[in-house]
Amino acid sequence: MSGSNGSNGAKKPSSEFVQYHFRHAIGGFFEFPTANARKILPPHLHPVEPHHGQSVLSVMAFDFHKSMVGEYGELILSVLVMPRVAPGEPLPRSAFYPFLLGTTTKDSRDHAIERWHLPHFMENIDLSFDAKDDGIRIAAAHGGKPIIDMNITPYSWEKVSHRYQSFMHDADGSYMSTIIMESGFSENEEERGDITIHPHAFTKDIDRDNVNTTPFRELWMRDGLQTFHPLDTLASAAV
Amino acid sequence: MATRISNTTPATPEEETDAAGANGGIADFDYSNFYYSSSDDIFAIFDPYNEWWYGHARDNGYYLFSQPMSTPPGPRIDLEEQLGHERLKLLNLASYNYLGLSYHPEVIDAAKKALDHYGLGAAGSPILSGTMEIHVQLEKALAKFKKKDAVMVFPTGYSTNVGLIAALMRPGDWVIMDQNVHASIVDGAILSKANVRFFRHNRPDDLEKKLRGTTGKRLVIVEGVYSMDGDEARLPEIVEVAKRHGARIMIDEAHSTFLYGANGRGVAEKYGLEEDIDIHVGTFSKALGGMGGFVAGSQALYNYLMGFARSRVFSCALSPAVSAGVLQALRIAEREPQLRDTLWSNVAYMRGLLAEAGIDVGESTSQIIPIMIRNDRKIFGVAQALQKAGLYLQPIIYPAVAKHRSRFRISISATHTTQQLDEAATILADVMTAEGLR
Repeated sequence: MSGSNGSNGAKKPSSEFVQYHFRHAIGGFFEFPTANARKILPPHLHPVEPHHGQSVLSVMAFDFHKSMVGEYGELILSVLVMPRVAPGEPLPRSAFYPFLLGTTTKDSRDHAIERWHLPHFMENIDLSFDAKDDGIRIAAAHGGKPIIDMNITPYSWEKVSHRYQSFMHDADGSYMSTIIMESGFSENEEERGDITIHPHAFTKDIDRDNVNTTPFRELWMRDGLQTFHPLDTLASAAV
Repeated sequence: MATRISNTTPATPEEETDAAGANGGIADFDYSNFYYSSSDDIFAIFDPYNEWWYGHARDNGYYLFSQPMSTPPGPRIDLEEQLGHERLKLLNLASYNYLGLSYHPEVIDAAKKALDHYGLGAAGSPILSGTMEIHVQLEKALAKFKKKDAVMVFPTGYSTNVGLIAALMRPGDWVIMDQNVHASIVDGAILSKANVRFFRHNRPDDLEKKLRGTTGKRLVIVEGVYSMDGDEARLPEIVEVAKRHGARIMIDEAHSTFLYGANGRGVAEKYGLEEDIDIHVGTFSKALGGMGGFVAGSQALYNYLMGFARSRVFSCALSPAVSAGVLQALRIAEREPQLRDTLWSNVAYMRGLLAEAGIDVGESTSQIIPIMIRNDRKIFGVAQALQKAGLYLQPIIYPAVAKHRSRFRISISATHTTQQLDEAATILADVMTAEGLR
């Protein structure tokens, strides 16, 4: 069955930190129309606009080699949104609303839906990483049909620990988790990368003709650790 | 309780306790981190912003912005350094004063006479009591210079673009602009509530793509020379694309009017496209060394803007003293084309020095020469070293430019001597060598 399903019944959020080790995590930030972003976002979240009328489509791919659900690949489509700023809480580097994830294994998919209320494409996808010195290429496909091809280029490398916020929203409610990314990190705005978004059920919510196919920002993280903080249920969110 | 801005947090609750008061990663923040926030309190962002500003940003380089100058913006200046409050004597390559007219004796004299005659301000909107004879003289002189039916003067360059675009465009219309245009153009488009599209910088092929599917009123906006990179618009190709799609064209020549073209009318004159472009914008704060802006075009455009350019209608008119100074600066620029020759000779001379020193100047072809550092972490250290060595240059960093496109922006003036340019190039080369950047 294809399609997204972020709900798995109301469950009490876990208080544990959950860690995922990855070989590569790569991302591209692409400008796309805010009208498209607003159709994707729940009403309580607002897109970040690098240019007026242009929001940010984030395409990320992870190559996990160690986690509580084993080894798997993950493709994430997100919209960058305004972070939550609250007294006593550290300010994040940025905030995301993941609106569709695809994974290479059922276990990882079931885990992310149950634990993090993340909406998923409900069949396994194929995800390949081809890393070279001058760039990394990912190819995502499903049933022999391409979903997304993306090339990302490196710049200088440094060790970082970055804080992000991820917002989730499903039939059970609205949530937020802090995510810490610790890894070798390279980021640039050299506009050397590119993306091809193919027509596919996975990409149906994206106005493909109006996505800038050159990322204005390219990110590449190597040999890192992703840590999810316990899920916060956002009391103010409409359900 | 204050919001903490710590960018890094440990991975486990135990480690978090240890690091609760730490501000690791604070150097990763920049202005862009404090623009967006969702909170129930407007003021919630103040605490993290001020923690960043006073805990890191100011002392690590941001103090280099807005340092008060106590001399005219000439080749040699005095300013008060903002950390130790030491008064410094510096060689200045940071001011826009391209023709050196801001302190020209005739300009100062004209402004003084107007001050004596009219007093300090216009004391009214230009559509009510604020229009004075000097404003009319300035507009007529500019129209003659630009070879246009009419010119309308605005109190600032910013208000020119905001007032112009918001006056012309409406919801449902399309504003399609180069992604590197000035904030005033973007803000004007936002205020107009028209649909907005940005095409990739200086890419006629992307303009073509962005024009596809648009219908109704379309306005394509470019600049003559772009202020951060110092590169010229690819005007012939852009005009061809826009005209083929039936779009109107506007050019902002803030950094090119009075400098480019055989008569100084701008990049549009240089390419023989003055008649193909519907709306011409310029400013007085760059080559003429004053302040204010103008729109040049048809009398019909002037008449319409008189009623609907709200940033002008609801502002006090440009100070008569400034207007008189600008008018005299215009007369000098017209009378003494050798000033432009000197400027371009200086530009060529400085380019030669920088090339000889192996310094990266990006895509610049103009009097604006970026010194590309391409290292967001190092640039403030380089800026401090330059200032210590006696050279005043402003660092330009993300988000004003893309990540890793940090640079210093040199503005060459006709009043720089070759000795001063030699001195600047030597300081630059020495500092960049010491900082491991060449």
